[in-house]
Amino acid sequence: MEFVSPEGLRLDGRRPMEMRQIRAEIGVVAKADGSASFEMGNTKVIAAVYGPREVPNRSQQISDQALVRCEYSMANFSTGDRMRKPKGDRRSMEISLVIRQTMEACILTHLMPRSQIDIFVQVLQADGGTRSACINAATLALADAGIPMCDLITSCSAGYLNSTPLLDLNYVEDSAGGPDVTVGILSKSDKVTLLQMDSKLPMDIFENVMQLAIEGCKAVANYIREILLENTKQLEYRRGT
Amino acid sequence: MGSSGASGDLSGEMEVDAFRRLFPLRFYERHLLESVRPDARPLGRARDTTVALGAVATADGSAMAKIGCTTMLAAIKLEVMTPPLDSSDEGSVAIDFHMPPICSPIVRPGRPAEVAPVVSKQLSDAIISSGMINLKELSLVSGKAAWMAYLDIYCLDADGALFDAALLAAVAAFSHLQIPAVTVNDDGRVVIMSGENEEEEESVMETPVTVVLDSSSRLVSLYKPGGPVLAYMSAVQDCVALTRQRVKELQKILSDAISDMEVD
Repeated sequence: MEFVSPEGLRLDGRRPMEMRQIRAEIGVVAKADGSASFEMGNTKVIAAVYGPREVPNRSQQISDQALVRCEYSMANFSTGDRMRKPKGDRRSMEISLVIRQTMEACILTHLMPRSQIDIFVQVLQADGGTRSACINAATLALADAGIPMCDLITSCSAGYLNSTPLLDLNYVEDSAGGPDVTVGILSKSDKVTLLQMDSKLPMDIFENVMQLAIEGCKAVANYIREILLENTKQLEYRRGT
Repeated sequence: MGSSGASGDLSGEMEVDAFRRLFPLRFYERHLLESVRPDARPLGRARDTTVALGAVATADGSAMAKIGCTTMLAAIKLEVMTPPLDSSDEGSVAIDFHMPPICSPIVRPGRPAEVAPVVSKQLSDAIISSGMINLKELSLVSGKAAWMAYLDIYCLDADGALFDAALLAAVAAFSHLQIPAVTVNDDGRVVIMSGENEEEEESVMETPVTVVLDSSSRLVSLYKPGGPVLAYMSAVQDCVALTRQRVKELQKILSDAISDMEVD
């Protein structure tokens, strides 16, 4: 099947190095300490952060840092066919772990000992790149909750089909069986915290694809920074300063 | 509390907040004496309600309903199934209500909200018993194939009035539902109501009463789950009167949302 036409257009009309349209909004869940919704094309996720709060199970609390927990779940209607078991299955548990470890890399946990930070991510529509969208949403939600972080983490995916590196795969491209590289970086220091790849890829092409994904991450980071700046301005106006 | 300096106002504000936390009942009673609620709403008025149809592109019918901050997302997915022998020319509806951990600080993984299965059952009973959906319309080939409509409602933000918002979202999703190859507006315009409150008020109240009316103001369901306050007929009638008023408001909101969709 042809994923890149001879004119260089993908199935949804994008160019190979073009990302899908991103949209983010902060403060979508009133009850949460911090929340954000993040859309990459047709993939829509909501992240909510509760914390720092007391650890319910005293035996689990850590005396010199905060405990970070994360749960990833998909709505029944988020995929093409209705899902029977939207959480607790292996894929969801794996992505929960990945998001938790990625966010732990940037949260300054030593500033909040003996407390717990809960990150919950809910996928409302899944069209490829849910992992990345969740990490981006979690970053925004943590910033909205005022949790101290050393940097903003952003994530993006890239693949390689029809001998072309493609940025930000959607579901059809992802399930084509080609390689799928997901990268998460600390945006200021350009350090890679998350790197996952499956399928087969020669080393030199892998470097190209990974570099493409990193460029995508930086573009997302710029957008996220704009959103946060706009949000801070709004807060300033409301305070009347 | 008058026009003292900024620090004076701040200390006045903190006292109000502390009072609200420490003595919630007295806080609300003080407001009720003036026939008003803490967010300056009069007793009979509901919070801003909005309905948006077609919120989920991948579903066959969907809607997002908001009452104040409470947000519900409902989506319907149709699957073909073989109907059981005793109802061979009818389809079926399965209703499921979820409260994922994002919606409220009291829901944690492994410890689901107590109220979720209760609202789920209430919704199921209200929708199926009201006869709002004509199950015969969901039949494809009598005895062989029929549609099973899976309605999933997700609470994205829980701030009281969960049942109201969920029922509103469910009704809106059904009115948006398009059965493939047959376009059906399968909605008898059932609209919901209740004496509707924010979560804090609900935690202080002793007994909530939920009343469901349909568009011809017939009583579809009345739900008063125990509790120490006895419902005298007059109190119940007051609730029903409030409901009737709210029905008109909600009907307008719903039909506005539907006509907006049709213009698009």
